[in-house]
Amino acid sequence: MAPSQRNPTRGITRRKSLATIAGVGAVAVAGCMGGNGGDEGGVAGTIDASGSNTVAPITSWAGENFAEEFPDVLVDVAPEGTGAGFQEFCRANSAVQSASREISDEEIALCEENDVDYDFLEVGLDGISVVKNSENDWMEEVTLDELRMVWEFDATGEITQWSDIRDEYPDEDLQLHARDSASGTFDYFTLEINGEVGDIRDDYSATSQTNEIMGAVAGDQYAFGWGGLGYLRDIEDDEPIEAVPVESDQDGEFYLPEQETIEEGTYSPLARPLFAFFNLASLEEEPELIGSFARFYANRAQEFARDEGFYAAPDEVTEQNHDKIDSWLESVGYSPDDLPVQRE
Amino acid sequence: MSDDSDRKRRPDGGTATERNRGEELFADIDLRREHLKNRAFLGLIFAASMFGVVALALLLLDVVTDFYVGITEFEISLIQFFTVDGSRRPENAGFFGAIIASVMLMALTAVLSFFVGVGAAIYLEEYAPNNRITRLIKANLSNLAGVPSIVYGLLVLAALVNGIGVGPILLAGSVALALLVMPIIIVSAQEAIRAVPDGVRNGSYATGATKWQTIRQVVLPSAMPGILTGTILALARAIGETAPLLMVGALFVNRTPFGPFDRFSGMPTQIYAWAAEPSQHFIHLAAVGIVVLLTILLSMNAVAVYLRNKYETAV
Repeated sequence: MAPSQRNPTRGITRRKSLATIAGVGAVAVAGCMGGNGGDEGGVAGTIDASGSNTVAPITSWAGENFAEEFPDVLVDVAPEGTGAGFQEFCRANSAVQSASREISDEEIALCEENDVDYDFLEVGLDGISVVKNSENDWMEEVTLDELRMVWEFDATGEITQWSDIRDEYPDEDLQLHARDSASGTFDYFTLEINGEVGDIRDDYSATSQTNEIMGAVAGDQYAFGWGGLGYLRDIEDDEPIEAVPVESDQDGEFYLPEQETIEEGTYSPLARPLFAFFNLASLEEEPELIGSFARFYANRAQEFARDEGFYAAPDEVTEQNHDKIDSWLESVGYSPDDLPVQRE
Repeated sequence: MSDDSDRKRRPDGGTATERNRGEELFADIDLRREHLKNRAFLGLIFAASMFGVVALALLLLDVVTDFYVGITEFEISLIQFFTVDGSRRPENAGFFGAIIASVMLMALTAVLSFFVGVGAAIYLEEYAPNNRITRLIKANLSNLAGVPSIVYGLLVLAALVNGIGVGPILLAGSVALALLVMPIIIVSAQEAIRAVPDGVRNGSYATGATKWQTIRQVVLPSAMPGILTGTILALARAIGETAPLLMVGALFVNRTPFGPFDRFSGMPTQIYAWAAEPSQHFIHLAAVGIVVLLTILLSMNAVAVYLRNKYETAV
């Protein structure tokens, strides 16, 4: 016990610790005083966007370009999947909803329940690619019937080997990889191929990340799967993965998903329009902000879609989009001519 | 070796009958096998202790390789990485907004958790009577420390973000992190306060100091290095947490937040968002982000270790 010896140590320690606390506090206070400037109307504020993991990159890229033009704007895009996104959108938690399919009956009901009035723009086209490993030299094309046979619910536990599809295919286990039920790609695929939304076998590897599907197929000779084309384009040059030509429901020929076949409409049914839904109540609340964003998006949707690895919707769709925006603005009593962003 | 010792022992073994009896007694023991088992067990537990080291080495190797490929092949400029915000175009993307957001998150988390945590620790160590309520609080604390971090995120999402309706702002994120690290801070502060010898307290009382004076001027200063070490380690944990921030709703493209009421994306959430991108360029941006985050985490841990070593012998 010799308090006198310890006192100096203690004093320094305490001063140091107090200084640390003060320092931390000062940083926090400095942080608090920042505030988020620019709320005085006009093209400023935050736009909440929910929705498709597939379409989100287009909306996000549109948002970033929009924010470059109007620095007080933040477009917050959360790519949780089309289905999960509509749950937010129809509860008025988001103003913009990217969707890789049309809105479903249940979602319409949910939106009505919460008095969410909405409309959509068509922002591009996407192909769903059916993918196999490059080492797979037996499958040269796939018919729609075969796709259905492999993926429908009744295939569970029945179609487990490649030889179950065609007799000449090897007796090896099928490794199936695809999207989970939160995604619009899933809804579109199950509707178009299996005939009913949500009709799918329950023993495949379901994921919410399309690049996981692509990675899994690239890593296994006996894997088979499907997912957004953009994800395939990103890795097909570096990884052993390729698209399978799919039977067209237009002329019965087999086509690969390519810009030509998709924009022409021959790669069908696995090409689909992509949408951006807008909450009209949000538009009424902030017509300048939301309206400008919609107009900006419609002006350059073809460019944004191609930038993100998708395909451009035809020119007449752009015209339709603009007419829709005009009618929305008029319906909330805002003159389209006053909008800071004009039709190009 | 075992054979040798066996043979050597025999000549001294005494009469033939004694030897026989001894041989009968140990006949079923194969010494070589026993030694082999001994060594095998040693090897096994050594491998077990190396497991963590090897896993860490592999992780570091993987991250550093990706980092190197990112810098060389994708020409990620570190200057740009540290000075610009995120972008949809990987060649324009940076980490600045995420770093600022993480620093602000850490500062707010420290403010929110430090005073409450140390206060609780002082009460529990210095004042609380040893009764059922105290034991209940202590049991609660150790349970809270085991709650998965995503649960705190959900709590804040339900109570603050949607309940009060503040939205996914930085302050909400730091509340989630503060709740997460609070038990760690309380427990480490308790240990630091407990480590102050009773003799020091009694000496203070003997001079006529009140309990509060003793705590403030004697106990806390002595315990402070320990408390700070625990706090830094807790904050290092907080800065690396992803799940609660994702629950609260972090941005997917980081932007510099200007205050606690702005939207944000911290370092881990930005890494998460990048890693989920299809493009390899984004994935290597994530690797560079991981290196930055790991560097910060390791230096925080180093500061904590330094503080602990420096003041270990002070009391």
